[in-house]
Amino acid sequence: MTRPAAVLLFIAAWSGAVIAQGAGAAARPDVSGYWELRFDSFHVPTAVLTTQAQAAVDARRKKDLDAVRGCVNIGMPALMNDHATLDIRQSAGVIGMVAKSPSSTRYIYTDGRKHPGTDELEATTNGHSIGRWDGATLLVDTVGFNARGITAVPGGGFRTARSRLTEQYRLSADGQQLVVTFTWTDPTVFRRAHSYAFRYYKVGSISEPRVVNCIAGDADRVRFLTDPPVPR
Amino acid sequence: MRTLYSLIAAGLLAGAVAHAQQHVSIAPDLSGMWILQDPGSGSWSEFYDNVPKPQLKPEIITDNEAIAARERAGNVVNRAQRTATCPVGNLPMMMGSSPPLNIVSSRDEVLIGAESNRARFIYTDGRPHPDVKDPAYVPSGFGHSIGRWEGDTLVVDTIGFAPRVCDSRRPVMLTPGGGRAKDTTHLVERYRLVNADELSVTFTWEDATVLLAPHTYSYTYKKLAEGTPIENNDEPNAQPQQTYITDQVEK
Repeated sequence: MTRPAAVLLFIAAWSGAVIAQGAGAAARPDVSGYWELRFDSFHVPTAVLTTQAQAAVDARRKKDLDAVRGCVNIGMPALMNDHATLDIRQSAGVIGMVAKSPSSTRYIYTDGRKHPGTDELEATTNGHSIGRWDGATLLVDTVGFNARGITAVPGGGFRTARSRLTEQYRLSADGQQLVVTFTWTDPTVFRRAHSYAFRYYKVGSISEPRVVNCIAGDADRVRFLTDPPVPR
Repeated sequence: MRTLYSLIAAGLLAGAVAHAQQHVSIAPDLSGMWILQDPGSGSWSEFYDNVPKPQLKPEIITDNEAIAARERAGNVVNRAQRTATCPVGNLPMMMGSSPPLNIVSSRDEVLIGAESNRARFIYTDGRPHPDVKDPAYVPSGFGHSIGRWEGDTLVVDTIGFAPRVCDSRRPVMLTPGGGRAKDTTHLVERYRLVNADELSVTFTWEDATVLLAPHTYSYTYKKLAEGTPIENNDEPNAQPQQTYITDQVEK
């Protein structure tokens, strides 16, 4: 091989490698990883509730407590502010999120699909989420919630079957922080759109086990939740 | 001199390719919703055991006969109490059940969820297994899985299963064909996309306390395009004595 041929061969190979890398990296940041919330992770204004929502807050709070007692899947939005590390995994067409608390895996479809029609949409605690990338920001739209699990929304209010959640995910330049803004709309609950933001910190690894073994019949647990210890 | 240029070019080319491979995943994307193909038995238990027969140790055969006799006598309800020490998950049953698997395949980890419920995790970031004999290790019905790509095949190695499960009828997890998955068990799975719509998984179970030889069988899963997972809406309080898996089976 002559010197010019060798140089040309290398330039061609390097260009191909860089182009291929760019195609994968520039289009979609990878939000995969273990993410935790810390003491300074929360920017949560107070929600402005409708009159009917204000009247329903206490009943909802009791219902949420029942869900915790019963080990019911917590669902959204509680899944996103779980007290343990959140595991987020991203593939080309779907993003999976696993919390440690009792919950279904949350899936965000980024393959271009739409929400199912109302006759096909089965309401769940997490709702049905679709996402698309707008530059480096992941925009997520979620509908189809049911009334099970923890329904409380940070800042006030709760989710209902009429709720819609839009989220924006932005990864920091160094990939170590993930800022998510949440905006809830629901004419039966919020007088105006309610937005708040969480900042997650990436952690290198987490220890097993990954699932809380929630025992609904654990008498001590139920007693703590319903009749908590008081100072003597 | 010409040889020297050739060597330099080859070295640089290899470096460029390695650089590209670090940043662009060449592994097949297993992500999607996959449903197990039942050959049409119509019976889950018949399907579950419709695999090449394992070579079981005599004591396991005897135990299987005892379980079958108890079930014929009506012992079909799990009456074990759920306690905090009950292990979570049941890998062989999850992989062999009708609820579709939701796979999210990322670079460092593969999630496999059953319907929209809990997921098992396959670490593909190069980590080793933990010391599963360490008291700090919490065994589960999913065990601890690590995976690596061999060409187009994801090879998954699992150990660290729970020695017992909270099931009064069968206190140890059963594997297809009548084997057992427990703390002495080693499982190797091989995941390969046959085509865009078919996923083949070959399971090989090894356990000298259960099997006289490794037990291998394969499942084929079909992709559900745009499938939406449903959620298990059973109220745990409604059936406090039954495990989730038991609920699934008995329905």
